[in-house]
Amino acid sequence: MTFFTVVLRGLLRRPLRTGLTLAGISIGIAAVVALVGMSRGFEKGWQVGLKARGTDLVITNKSGSLTPKPFDASVRDRIATLPRIAATCNLLVQVTSVEDSDLMILSAREWGGFSWNNLELISGRMPHDATEEAVVLGQTAAEILRKKIGDPVQIETKELKVVGIVKGGALVEDGSVILSLPLLQEITGSPNQINAIDVRATPGTNEQQLAELAQQIQQLVPEVRAVTVSEHLSHAEGFRLVKAMSWGTSLLAILVGVLGVMNTMLMTVFERTHEICVLLAVGWTRGRIMRMILYESALLGLFGGVAGVAIGAIGVKVLSEAPAIRGLLQPDLSIPLLGLSVVIAMAVGIISGLYPAWRSSRLTPSLALQAG
Amino acid sequence: MTSPFASAASLLEAKALTREFDDGQVKALRGVDFLMNEGDFVAITGPSGCGKSTLLQLLGALDRPTSGTLLYQGESLPDHPNPAAYRAREVGFIFQAFHLLPTFTASENVQIPMFEIDRSVSERRERAFELLKLVGLENRLDHFPSKLSGGERQRVAIARSLANGPSLLLADEPTGNLDSENAHSVLELLIRLQQEQGRTMVLVTHDPTIAGRAGRILRMKDGQIVSDGKS
Repeated sequence: MTFFTVVLRGLLRRPLRTGLTLAGISIGIAAVVALVGMSRGFEKGWQVGLKARGTDLVITNKSGSLTPKPFDASVRDRIATLPRIAATCNLLVQVTSVEDSDLMILSAREWGGFSWNNLELISGRMPHDATEEAVVLGQTAAEILRKKIGDPVQIETKELKVVGIVKGGALVEDGSVILSLPLLQEITGSPNQINAIDVRATPGTNEQQLAELAQQIQQLVPEVRAVTVSEHLSHAEGFRLVKAMSWGTSLLAILVGVLGVMNTMLMTVFERTHEICVLLAVGWTRGRIMRMILYESALLGLFGGVAGVAIGAIGVKVLSEAPAIRGLLQPDLSIPLLGLSVVIAMAVGIISGLYPAWRSSRLTPSLALQAG
Repeated sequence: MTSPFASAASLLEAKALTREFDDGQVKALRGVDFLMNEGDFVAITGPSGCGKSTLLQLLGALDRPTSGTLLYQGESLPDHPNPAAYRAREVGFIFQAFHLLPTFTASENVQIPMFEIDRSVSERRERAFELLKLVGLENRLDHFPSKLSGGERQRVAIARSLANGPSLLLADEPTGNLDSENAHSVLELLIRLQQEQGRTMVLVTHDPTIAGRAGRILRMKDGQIVSDGKS
C-alpha cells in the first residue's frame, strides 16, 4: 500500500459525494473550455480569415466594433502613396441575417482587389463584373443557406443570384456571402462608404516595420485606426466584451467549483475527525495529515478537470454546429487551453483543500482514545 | 509515590503530575507519582472518571500535563521535540473500540503506522503479514474490518500497535468490547506478546480479574494513585 492508495481510499469512502463534487468541478471547467474556447476560436478564425486574404494591416474607423461604422472610401487614396504598401482593398463587411440564417457574414469587396484572390472556386464561376447582381458563397454558407448555383438569395431588399461556391482557406471566409463592393453600397444606399481597408505590405516587411506603417497611417488619417491582423479583434469593443464575459462567467463557474470542493473536503475532515485522530495517535505527523487532505482535494480537481475538459470539448463541438453560429467560429480546443483548464482545476482543488487541511492538522489526537 | 519495584532500567517516571481541564475546574490528575521499568506489565484500575485514560494519554504523548514531570528514558516527554515520532516509534496503542480504519484491509491497517518510518512498500507488506500471523490472522489479510469479528478486529489492532516495534504498549480497556471468550484470548495474546518480547505494557481496565494478571496494579481514585502494588 502506498500513500497514494491512502489518498484514493479517502475519496472512495463516499463515492456519491465524491461523484457529485467531481460533477461540480467538471461543469465549472467545461464552462471554461466552452466559453473561452469559443471566444478564442472566434478570434482565431477571424485572424485566419484575414491572413487567408493576404492582409497584413486592417484599417477601420475608431469605433472599434466587429463591423465598424462606415467611412469614406477616399481614405484609401490618402494612404496609397505610403511606402511599404503593396496593395489595398476596400471592404464593407456586415454581420447580419440572410434569409433563414440569423448570423451571416456579408463581405463586399472592391472589385479586382486582392481580397478576392484567395477564393478558390468549387463550382460555378466568379461574377463577371462589379455590377453583376450576383454573389459567391463560401462553402459553409452555401450549406447553411441550402443554396446551389443559380439559386436566388435575398440580401436586404435585393434578390441576387448565386453564381459560384468557393472555399477561402478559413472558416470565416467559408461562412461568408461574398459580393462586389459597389453592389452592397447600392443595396445599403451608402455609395462610396466602406468600413475596412485590407492592406498588404510589400514582401519582406517585418513586424516592427508593419507597426511603423500602422503608425504612419494613423498620423496621416487621424480618424482611422490601423492595426495588424493579430490586434484587429482586440480593438473590437463587442469582442472585448464577449471575451470579458466568457472569462467572467468562467471565473464564476470556477468559484462555484472552489466552494464545492471546499465544502466536500470540510465535510470529509469533520466526518473523519475520529479517523484523523487515530492516524495522529499511531504516529502520523500533522504534515502528513495535511498532505493527505491536500492530495485528495488536488485529485478531485485533477479528475474533475479531465472530465470537465472532455465535457466542454464535446459540448463546444455540438454548439459550434448549432444553426445560429455554424460557420462563424471554429472553437479553439488547443492543447494549451485544455492543459490550462486542467491546471486551473487542480489549482481549484489545492486552494479549496488548504483550509480543510489546516483544520485537520489542528485536531487533538487524544480524541482517538475516546470511545467512537 | 515511587514504585517499590524500581529494580530494572527506568522507562517512565512521573512526579507530581497534574492535568486540569476547563481552566482548572476539572482536575483529572492531582499529583501522580510513579516509576515504571522496562518490561513491566502494569494495570491501572479505578472507577470511571478517576483519571485512568487521562494518564494513558499523557504516557502516549497524546496530551500534555498541566504541571509536574513526566520522563521517558530520562527525557521530558511533554518537551519531546517530535511527539509524532515518539508515538510512531516508541508507543503502540490498543483501544477499546479497536479504531481500525474501515476503508482499509487488515493488512493495510497494520501498515498505516509504518508510513512514518523508512520502509519500502514490500517491506511494509511483509511486516504486516508477519504481525498478522503472530496474532493468528494470516488468513484474514485482505478482509476489511466490517468482515471481521470483534475479537479479530482487536487482534488486527494489536498487530497494528506492534508495527514499528514499540517499547511501550498502551492498552485502554482492550477487552471492553469483547465477549468473554474473545476477551480471554485477546488478553492471553497481549500477555504472551508482552512476556515474549519483553515490552512494557500499561493496561487500563475496570476488570479486577484482568488487572490481576498484571505484575503490578496502580489503583486510582479522584485523580490520584491510591495504591501501587503487586497483584
